Amino acid sequence: MLPAFRRFLDRFRRPKPETTPFPEIFEQFQSLLQDHQQVMELIADLGEKSGGEYIFDRKYLVDLTNNLHTLLLRMVNGLNLIANKRYMELYSTLDRIFQPLEAELRGRLLLSEEMPLVIALNELPLDHPELTGGKANTLGRAIQSLKLPVPDGFVITTRAYRKFLEINHLEERIHAWLESWAAGEQDAGQTSRQIQYSILAGLVGRELAAEIRRHAAREEVFWAVRSSAYGEDGELSFAGLHDSRLHVPSGKILSAYKEVLASLYSREALIYRQKMGLLGEEAAMAVLCQETIISRAAGAMHTLDLSNPAANRLVIYAAFGWGRTVVEGSGPVDRFVVEKDPPHRIVEREIAAKEFMFRPKPGGGEEKVAVPRDERQQPSLKDEAIGTLVKWGLSLERYFKRPQEIEWAQDEAGKLWLVQSRFMTISRTVIPPPENIAEITSRYPIIIKGQGTVAHAGVGCGPVYQVDSDAKLSRFPEGAVLVVKYTAPWLTPAVPKAAAIIAERGSAAGHLATIAREFRVPTLVGVEGACERLREGEKITVDTKQRVVYAGRVKELLQYELVQAPAFEETHEFRQLRRLLKRIAPLHLIDPQAPDFTPQGCESVHDVIRFIHEKAVNELMDLPRFLKRFRGVKIFSLISEVPLDLKILDLGGGIDPNVQGSQIRVEHIRSLPLKALWEGVSEPGVWSTEPVAVDFRGLMSSLTKTWAEAPGATAYEGFNLAVVSGVYMNLHLRLGYHLNLVDARMHPEPHHNHIYFRFVGGVTDITRRSRRAQLLAHILSKFQFKVDVKGDLVVARVLHLPQEEMAERLKVVGRLIGFTRQLDIQLKSDADIPQFMESFFSRNSQAGETPLA
Amino acid sequence: MSARKLKVMVLDDEPIVCKRLQPALEKLGFEVDTFTQSLEALHHIKENKYDIIITDLKMKGIDGMAFLQEAKKQHPTTEVIVITGFATLETAKESFQKGVFDFIAKPFKLSEIQEVVTKAAAKIQGAGA
Repeated sequence: MLPAFRRFLDRFRRPKPETTPFPEIFEQFQSLLQDHQQVMELIADLGEKSGGEYIFDRKYLVDLTNNLHTLLLRMVNGLNLIANKRYMELYSTLDRIFQPLEAELRGRLLLSEEMPLVIALNELPLDHPELTGGKANTLGRAIQSLKLPVPDGFVITTRAYRKFLEINHLEERIHAWLESWAAGEQDAGQTSRQIQYSILAGLVGRELAAEIRRHAAREEVFWAVRSSAYGEDGELSFAGLHDSRLHVPSGKILSAYKEVLASLYSREALIYRQKMGLLGEEAAMAVLCQETIISRAAGAMHTLDLSNPAANRLVIYAAFGWGRTVVEGSGPVDRFVVEKDPPHRIVEREIAAKEFMFRPKPGGGEEKVAVPRDERQQPSLKDEAIGTLVKWGLSLERYFKRPQEIEWAQDEAGKLWLVQSRFMTISRTVIPPPENIAEITSRYPIIIKGQGTVAHAGVGCGPVYQVDSDAKLSRFPEGAVLVVKYTAPWLTPAVPKAAAIIAERGSAAGHLATIAREFRVPTLVGVEGACERLREGEKITVDTKQRVVYAGRVKELLQYELVQAPAFEETHEFRQLRRLLKRIAPLHLIDPQAPDFTPQGCESVHDVIRFIHEKAVNELMDLPRFLKRFRGVKIFSLISEVPLDLKILDLGGGIDPNVQGSQIRVEHIRSLPLKALWEGVSEPGVWSTEPVAVDFRGLMSSLTKTWAEAPGATAYEGFNLAVVSGVYMNLHLRLGYHLNLVDARMHPEPHHNHIYFRFVGGVTDITRRSRRAQLLAHILSKFQFKVDVKGDLVVARVLHLPQEEMAERLKVVGRLIGFTRQLDIQLKSDADIPQFMESFFSRNSQAGETPLA
Repeated sequence: MSARKLKVMVLDDEPIVCKRLQPALEKLGFEVDTFTQSLEALHHIKENKYDIIITDLKMKGIDGMAFLQEAKKQHPTTEVIVITGFATLETAKESFQKGVFDFIAKPFKLSEIQEVVTKAAAKIQGAGA
């Protein structure tokens, strides 16, 4: 805080009488910590529920949201009591965050003005398929989650469709026409013509038209304008029922938009919806506009060979020019059959005589032209491109948990594009459900059974690949099963490529589990001895729904999962949960010094409790004022070898109750986290930093210097304070210019445990401080911390490990506090980082610890 | 797995519960029918015997307590497992008095219900042997 502002505040506050007595404040603080903990656990709980292992219903979501609301209200009350009502705006923050949550639960959000009329394809909100339609949603996921190249574009949402109906007063008229058709007063053809005509004659409102033009304002671009209707669960295929307009110039998008909308009421579409019993439900259509790819070749891919479903193969169809030839079957096409297992051998290769192709006509539209005679017998796709398509197909199928029908295009420069992907419709006659799947799977040898916790439910198959180093991580093969000791955040790059994940340790609420759910990778954590039992390279099938690991490829089970079992990720309840989660769980407020670390800056429930916790602790940390405010509060001083002037405030059970006076020694500490941390801090050699030999006491005296003594520093009283209980510690250190915060809990139940570590500041320039931050991040991530770095600020968290493992990590943190003392001075270039890392780890391994294994 | 497949009925008015339980139990080797309407399920048990019935408590139409009572009356050897989002000590007590095999509070883990159903199956097969 700025000193001037501080003085102003002090003066401002002084005349005010202290109304709340200390015992009450103290109680508030403790219950605030408990509520904070409980909210953290509810958030973790919700995250775990999104992994598919739990069966829950709407009531659970409603109850949980209400619980959170009650707890947060109590925390806001508590903070205001502690801080003399200085945070009253938090009440409106709560309203701002909880109103949409409650609207979401009532299913009202879609109608709200909050939803956009038009949205860029690469910014699509993935958990709102009802807003953007199934087709666009799939492409959004392919772009954002799978990082596949998709032609650029935008989506005109279902909200825009409703707005269009509203402006043109069409809603009731359409309803009336449909009713008279249902009553047999009109036939489908008449009904369709009436509705379509009124849609084509409608006006696109000014606001919507401007939005569309803004997104379409690109030079020399033609557009593919396609329907993206919304079918619940994506299980209904409207394929071919609705229109597309290809190669549309920007100026004609509005009329193409209306034509595509009108196709929602084509005769065929009406009959189909009636047959599926959907007529009573409101139809809505989003429209997808994408830049046209001028393709040299295009086609389709089926990730399941319907002519031979038992073989583990996929089929690629290809032809020159635009994809119409393949999609509509309007001419002969090349056909390639490829094995899904590596090395993906091409087992069949039929090259057709391709006489004609479709290509864009200058100025819009398309034309049919002859393929040059000498090219007709050439394959329209090279083997290398086939390899890329196979990779895409496998990753799309793995992600969507269903065989996929994919449209692709290759541009003149040879670059491949994903145009579309949707579930293959497979009739029960082609692949009948297995008579007895349990009996079939029981014939396969089982390696592991009934062990571990499910972080994401599903079935995956691949060779075992154990990762215990960065080098192995960088070589992680597509489609392998990731087997590790810990679910550390640094493993994240392997997740999208993994067929499944098995970890010996870690929590279903941890960072890697969250990422695994993001990519829908079947994940099992807490499988004791997995690294030993699962041999490198051995092919296994992991079924985390049954918690079974089979040796080999259980092809019947894989097919059962792909074709028969519903993908829970696509159900309404799970999508709703994920939408709630997005407003609850993410943490945006990382840096407490940042200008947006305010009640207004809070975007999620997590942000709010983070803010409250920080501010509540700060109240206690302002020790001089605090002591003045509450005379008679007992503060202990720690007498130790390490000359760190540490004050301790005991919330209960943190200090030996028999201790006399206010001076204590290390052996009087009962608080488990403080004890563990201090073990690290006071280990021999920790305070000296290689390679520069430093006189121990000399170094310490420079380190414990307070801000007041430091040259150029402002007058600020430096101190070190730990607020502790038997299982809890909140430690603030101000050593030299470093500000260090450690918040930790070591409960017997791992679910309650966390370490939160924050480090910032230093005497050198920002480049060097940032370098030190990088080093800290490297080291902490090797101990499974999730680390965020912003400039010279390091924030690291680790969750839900058992007591002893938390103790180990706190020891590491203790050593780090010593190790990094003056690193920013000694770390002269980025090239020094590995050397320092090594020196830290070699010291640690002497202490009997290896960071990775 | 023995020669005869055991028959399981799942009754819950939230379709998601049926949708998730069916494949999970099929993979354990059971034959599974699901219902979201208690009245329809009630008609069905008049003509069909299930070895195991998994039912919600709070439902529109006939509630779970009345349903399980009727089910037990029709086929006393049917094992009933109650799943509910409104788990209280009273409802649990009442369920057990009516002879249910087990009582599970929602939300629950797949592995949890799989375990309970497996135990019920073992009891049935043990009694039949």
